[in-house]
Amino acid sequence: MARCAALLRQQMMRPEFLRRAWMSQLNEDGDEEASFSFPSSLIGLERWRLPQEGCVEFDQPRSSIVRSIRDNFEAIEEDATDLAIAQLRACRPIPEPQVRELCYKARELLIEEGNVVTVDAPVTICGDIHGQFHDLMELFRVGGDVPDTNYLFMGDFVDRGFYSLESFLLLLCLKVRYPDRITLIRGNHESRQITTVYGFYDECIRKYGSANVWRYCCEVFDYLALGALILGASTEVPENRMQEKTFDTQTTLPDQESEIECEVLDANGEVREKLFRSQGNMNPASASRKSPAPDRDPAESSSPATTVSQPPTSPSQSNTKPPTASLFQPPSTTTGSLLCVHGGLSPLISTLNAIRLLDRKQEVPHEGAMCDLLWSDPDDIEGWGLSPRGAGFLFGSDIVRHFNHKNDLSMIARAHQLVMEGYKEMFSKQIVTVWSAPNYCYRCGNVAAILELGEDGSHGGCIRRANGSEGRREMVGGSVNSVGDGETTNGSNQNGGGLNAVLWNLATPGRRYRVFEAAPQGTRGMPAKKPVGEYFL
Amino acid sequence: MPAPPRLPTGVVPENFTEPAKRIHDGADLQFFLQSLAYRDVVTFILQLNRSMVPRKRIADNTIHEYRLDGMQQQDLLPQVKAILDLLNRLQTFIEDAPPDTGPRRFGNVSFRKWYKLVEDGLDAMLAEILPSKTQPAIVELKAYLLGSFGSAQRLDYGTGHELSFLAFLAALWKLGYFTSPAQSSTTSHPNNNTDSTSTIERQIVLSLFQTYLSLIRSLIQVYNLEPAGSHGVWGLDDNSFLPYIFGSAQLAPAIPEDNPSSPSPPIPTPTSGSLPSAVDPTIITKPTQVDAEAKSNLYFSSIQFIYTVKRGPFWEHSPMLFDISGIKDGWGKINKGLIKMYEAEVLGKFPVVQHFVFGSIFRWEKDPDAKVVQQTTHSTSHPLRNPMVGAGGVASTRPGQGVGTAAPWASVGGGGTATAPTGFVNGVTQAPWARQAGSQRPLHPPPPSLSGSRGGLSASLLRGPERRPVSAASANELKLAAKTAETIPEGKEVGDGN
Repeated sequence: MARCAALLRQQMMRPEFLRRAWMSQLNEDGDEEASFSFPSSLIGLERWRLPQEGCVEFDQPRSSIVRSIRDNFEAIEEDATDLAIAQLRACRPIPEPQVRELCYKARELLIEEGNVVTVDAPVTICGDIHGQFHDLMELFRVGGDVPDTNYLFMGDFVDRGFYSLESFLLLLCLKVRYPDRITLIRGNHESRQITTVYGFYDECIRKYGSANVWRYCCEVFDYLALGALILGASTEVPENRMQEKTFDTQTTLPDQESEIECEVLDANGEVREKLFRSQGNMNPASASRKSPAPDRDPAESSSPATTVSQPPTSPSQSNTKPPTASLFQPPSTTTGSLLCVHGGLSPLISTLNAIRLLDRKQEVPHEGAMCDLLWSDPDDIEGWGLSPRGAGFLFGSDIVRHFNHKNDLSMIARAHQLVMEGYKEMFSKQIVTVWSAPNYCYRCGNVAAILELGEDGSHGGCIRRANGSEGRREMVGGSVNSVGDGETTNGSNQNGGGLNAVLWNLATPGRRYRVFEAAPQGTRGMPAKKPVGEYFL
Repeated sequence: MPAPPRLPTGVVPENFTEPAKRIHDGADLQFFLQSLAYRDVVTFILQLNRSMVPRKRIADNTIHEYRLDGMQQQDLLPQVKAILDLLNRLQTFIEDAPPDTGPRRFGNVSFRKWYKLVEDGLDAMLAEILPSKTQPAIVELKAYLLGSFGSAQRLDYGTGHELSFLAFLAALWKLGYFTSPAQSSTTSHPNNNTDSTSTIERQIVLSLFQTYLSLIRSLIQVYNLEPAGSHGVWGLDDNSFLPYIFGSAQLAPAIPEDNPSSPSPPIPTPTSGSLPSAVDPTIITKPTQVDAEAKSNLYFSSIQFIYTVKRGPFWEHSPMLFDISGIKDGWGKINKGLIKMYEAEVLGKFPVVQHFVFGSIFRWEKDPDAKVVQQTTHSTSHPLRNPMVGAGGVASTRPGQGVGTAAPWASVGGGGTATAPTGFVNGVTQAPWARQAGSQRPLHPPPPSLSGSRGGLSASLLRGPERRPVSAASANELKLAAKTAETIPEGKEVGDGN
């Protein structure tokens, strides 16, 4: 049986096999057993009969071969996907019939997912990729490989870069192979219209000579979830799996002062910055010395700069701002959930349930809730504003605060905007932008980041959603005489006229950002030149 | 390709008007391709292109090349010098508008300051250099010149802006600006192709156009202007196109100089082969050789700029140019191909030319001699842009769709309002169907019934100026609208979204 499966697997990876195979009619040769319905996800057609040549290899009646295929079907399928993954990891596109098959499988899988996928921490959140395949490989190197690391990609896999096809198909293959270890949600570039303008369409034409593959991919786009809800994220920075053993002993020491709320690591796992809970806000702005003109959120500029840089853990510094006598001590390990969405919020969406009710299986519309989720941007305004993108809206801190409060969210993670430092927290840590395409478009000179969230062990991945349960909330945007928490900033006092009541929000989860640069280009060989097309004939 | 006609010069229209946008949808684009304006633009490009091709003097068999470093300042016509001075003055404005060091994403907002300085000073500067006869044309000339520096709103720059500068030069040509007063009576005949008169064209390209490109490159670098309407790595270049055309012409095989004594028909512009001394196209992947050629050639000057702004393997970030460098039939072939590509990918593309303005110099009128439809160039290149139309069929099997099919987003802008081009704003993607928020034309008022309609909500949002916090009053209105909208079942909401 094993030999049969192995041989078949080899055969199936070859296009000739697919070409030689033909539709089989039930009972055609009176062999009831021989004819069964292959799941079409395997090859793409409903019914298959083995080519005669393939049968000669096996010294047994055809019916038993077919039976063996059926019995080993899952293994065969997994192996086929593994082979495709290996090929894509080597940055070689897979043949068109296989793309078709892959997209079919992916759609079967994605159709089962809700508009808002529930994901349990621990998870690593990634932003835009934009066809930067080698940088995606660097991301996996820095963040750990699938399935060891649980990933969530917030869309914009395609367009602009040279390898949209390889990048998207690899992610899709991983999704099909490890459906519970990788989550893909839709970005504004996962759209027919956008891909025809920003490069993915051209790329498919160049690489396959026809638009078929582009069409298959676009069909998958329509099935991608619109958002994800991360449950059970810990307030502690996740255990640093990727770090050297020597570091492990340090980090596992009981923290003497207070727990680490946020840390920033470079591509080698070295800690660049640490932030302790209740000390203030973490921003690449205050962290990065390289950029004197940081992209800082004005609302947060007044908060004390408490970022401790290398060497980590300086007790004296953390003592300069003694732990506040807050009535609401930071919760031990529990936070609210996080919403992940590509763009941002919509004036038409006030609850997560509203997102769940959308009919998402369509091209991204030009307006409306679904469009806004994929197109909107946070901005330093109050309320809603017109987006310069011509789609979606700008939304201010008050909108985010209310939305998070109403939906028991501790934070929103989104992508969609280039951030020179790779990530940017805004609105008193209520929303973060994660950007995972380093040196965007080969010219922007930015670094990329991924965000790791730890697991809240005490609840076994299942969080209680009780509103206002003790110790779960921090105050945001409170009045001046409120607890001297870092959350109370001038910025948040200014906004929300008529907002006199104190809002309580859930504790921010512990965050670890891994920052990385574009992959070195040494290993990429120069390809042969291709014919340029009809203009130059 | 026969020898191209030259654009008539010294034809001054009686009335000048503020030029306006005319291309609002696919049908308009089709009309544009058969318009007088299109004819004039293409004629001028071919005319400049031909002027850059080397010449061979029959008498002594010597070849004349036209190189960037062969241009002597003292030889420049005073008219050319005047424009040159103007461009150099604009360059100095950069010092008056230093890049903002505050929070930014990518594009630098100080570009708007620079742009404002130009906008405010342009009338006076043009008035200084134009003869009194053509002063009334400033209203039109200014539109093309101001439109050639990129978008202050979106902080981007692309081939549409480059086209606008070409139109500015062509407009000056049509007005007879470059022909000195003494020669003003010698209005060129369409087929007057004596190459000796190409001196002006050569100065226009090698001096004016190259100086313009230097200015643009400064702007792109100082203010981080972004590519407008980019196909990612799959476009020819993030920002430019014309220098590749003119630069490849510089390296095409020489045209035997016309013999004034024999009335033989002019020799066509070469479409294959190269000048014997021309550098091999494949050197584009070797930066040091590119640097050497950049001094004399517009093509390599542009390649050099790519190397200064981009990091990564050349074939990866510029695959089109990489593949073009593999063409075996020489620079003449490359030149011919690039012109075809320009017609299809720049002049034939809605997102690019929708911003082109029309007045009395470039007329929105049908060219009586226009070919019916340039099926070959446009329809064969165009299906790439039309994939949504035929979900079932292979796109390239749809000839005749051509540019005539409205871009999917074309009708979305709502009639009169032009849609914004497709750039990325602040390092982010812009919707192809985006309305241009800074447009002078008023946006459509919201539909009378605001209640519950998503369209109404959007419309009320769109009324405000761009990137401004919605005022208290309108915010209330918004909340109200949002509230009303919320009551609609969401499923239905999006169902009619398209």
